[in-house]
Amino acid sequence: MHRLLDDYAHENGLRGVSPKLKLAIGAFSIIACIASPTPAVPLAVSACLSAALIALARIPWRLYIGLTAIPLSFALLSASVVALLSPGEALVSIGALRLSREGMWLGLLLLSRTIGGTSSLFFIALTTPMTEIFAILRSMGLPESLVELSMLIYRYIFVLLEEAMMVRSAQEMRMGYSSIRSSISSSAMLASVLFIRAWERGERLMVAMDSRCYSGRMPLVESHSVRPGHLAVSFIYILSITALLLAVIRGGSA
Amino acid sequence: MSEILGLRDVCYIYGDGHAALRNVTLSIESSSKVALVGPNGAGKSTLLLMLNGTLRPSSGVVLFRGQPMRYDSRSLTDIRKSVGMVFQNSDDQLFAPTVEQDIAFGPLNLGYPGDKIERYVGYALSYVGLEEHRNRPPHHLSGGEKKRVAIAGILVMEPDVLVLDEPTSNLDPATSEEIMEMLDELNLYGKTVVISTHDVELAYRWADEVVLMDGGEVVRTGPPEKVFADPDTLRKARLKLPAVLEIYREMLGRGLLAPVDELPRNIVDLMHLIESAAGISGRKPGRIYICDISGTPPSRIRDILSSGAVSYIGAMGTKAKMVANEELLELDFSYGVVDKCVLKAIAGRSSLIITSGGMVEHAERRIRSYAEEFGIEIEVIILPRAHTSTPVDNINLY
Repeated sequence: MHRLLDDYAHENGLRGVSPKLKLAIGAFSIIACIASPTPAVPLAVSACLSAALIALARIPWRLYIGLTAIPLSFALLSASVVALLSPGEALVSIGALRLSREGMWLGLLLLSRTIGGTSSLFFIALTTPMTEIFAILRSMGLPESLVELSMLIYRYIFVLLEEAMMVRSAQEMRMGYSSIRSSISSSAMLASVLFIRAWERGERLMVAMDSRCYSGRMPLVESHSVRPGHLAVSFIYILSITALLLAVIRGGSA
Repeated sequence: MSEILGLRDVCYIYGDGHAALRNVTLSIESSSKVALVGPNGAGKSTLLLMLNGTLRPSSGVVLFRGQPMRYDSRSLTDIRKSVGMVFQNSDDQLFAPTVEQDIAFGPLNLGYPGDKIERYVGYALSYVGLEEHRNRPPHHLSGGEKKRVAIAGILVMEPDVLVLDEPTSNLDPATSEEIMEMLDELNLYGKTVVISTHDVELAYRWADEVVLMDGGEVVRTGPPEKVFADPDTLRKARLKLPAVLEIYREMLGRGLLAPVDELPRNIVDLMHLIESAAGISGRKPGRIYICDISGTPPSRIRDILSSGAVSYIGAMGTKAKMVANEELLELDFSYGVVDKCVLKAIAGRSSLIITSGGMVEHAERRIRSYAEEFGIEIEVIILPRAHTSTPVDNINLY
């Protein structure tokens, strides 16, 4: 049985913290990372949130590193391209590729922002279940139908995922992925059968909803209230990052 | 008894011209337990979908409380509130992101006020024993738990009729029995329960009324011992005899048993027939204690257990099972409790049944009727009464 990110969102040390607060911290962190002209702020953000995820939310560090490595590998590639193609006085040059001081700085900034942003997103994704985010989305005034649709989509992701895993193992059992050729045709088959099953599910869903007197409303859960302790810690975090951000901006302009 | 749901000459023809139901006439009595049995493609599921107005007969009429069903949206809402449908695949039914939201779906759409929804959802959750799973998403639940949530989502609308399509498919035997026991409990409180199944053992033992279907037609209806008495009809419908009946027939054919008027419904009946044929009698039967947990502190249950007066303990009903779980009582029987305790009593061993509310009388009645049938004395001791009246309040059956 796979453990999905969603499972961690439901069982972690920060589950009891108000989702609004967690969302606010995540959003603030992303903005701080983008606003910062130097890598210091994004790196500080990443350090704080990673520490919170591992120490407070008790997310296994191996999993967390593995997760961050995925976007980071892309970021590393694009950061090096940016670094090598930026204008400026060349420090080293190999053919058409020149590494300038400005380019190196830009690449570093890009990389650090990615690290900070990734940590912020995982902070939300690993501690806050989607089910609680739906309630916030609605209270923020998003259209009802959009929220309801996303709730149904969320639920059926897992139903279809299970279906897909079953079909895939049935194919693997009969050597469906033994060569590139058969892999391609098996994947095509998997996609088409999933489409048909999704369609059937949709029809059965409609019957099930009608059987329970559907008149256009989906229930939402009450979210946790904000606790003063949590608020204080978040406040300290936001204040220190803001202070750092201001210091960096002033230092840069001075 | 009055008819709550009825079908009169109902035909249903699918778009491709295939007839799923042909001239089906059927009457479902209020507060009865009905099992639809038949092979795959017999039309069981189609018939069930007629009962809550999801499908509309091509010809003929469906009656609800004697009135022909109407298919405008207001009438349909009324019918679906009264006739709750539990689908075979729980994943089709559980579409909300969490258990609580899923159960609240029906009441919310019926326009109940917020505090009423909360109260009802809490009640339904505790009834099916899933309070601690309230905030979990359905994909974190086991098959049995999903089925319970599906049932809770229907119960919360307070239906008069529960319709379940293959309620025990994909469930392990113990979970199946627990689900069926829950349906028994609901039936005891007056709900009509209609199920479809291929499981002849289940239908034979559980139902008051069996409807045998084949090829879109109702072949036979009647009490299980009548419908299952004819092996030829069953074979034609691609079903088999329940094991109890098969053993009975075999023993009859070999002259080991004498024919009886009333066929054995379960192992208790069969064992009694065998024992009386073998001439085993005169053994002193064991006692059965029935303990109402709402009136008994758990410490008293422990005292009884440690006194050595009983050899077995079983729990009936959701509430009793929850208490047993909390008190870490190791249950010998968690389903089919009365039957098993009667079997043990006949074998001379005593047992304790923990249960609550109306189930106490139900259990007592069942034991009494077994004792009467077999002409033996089983001493039944009901426990909360024991500490109000001075000596143990024995209810001697004869």
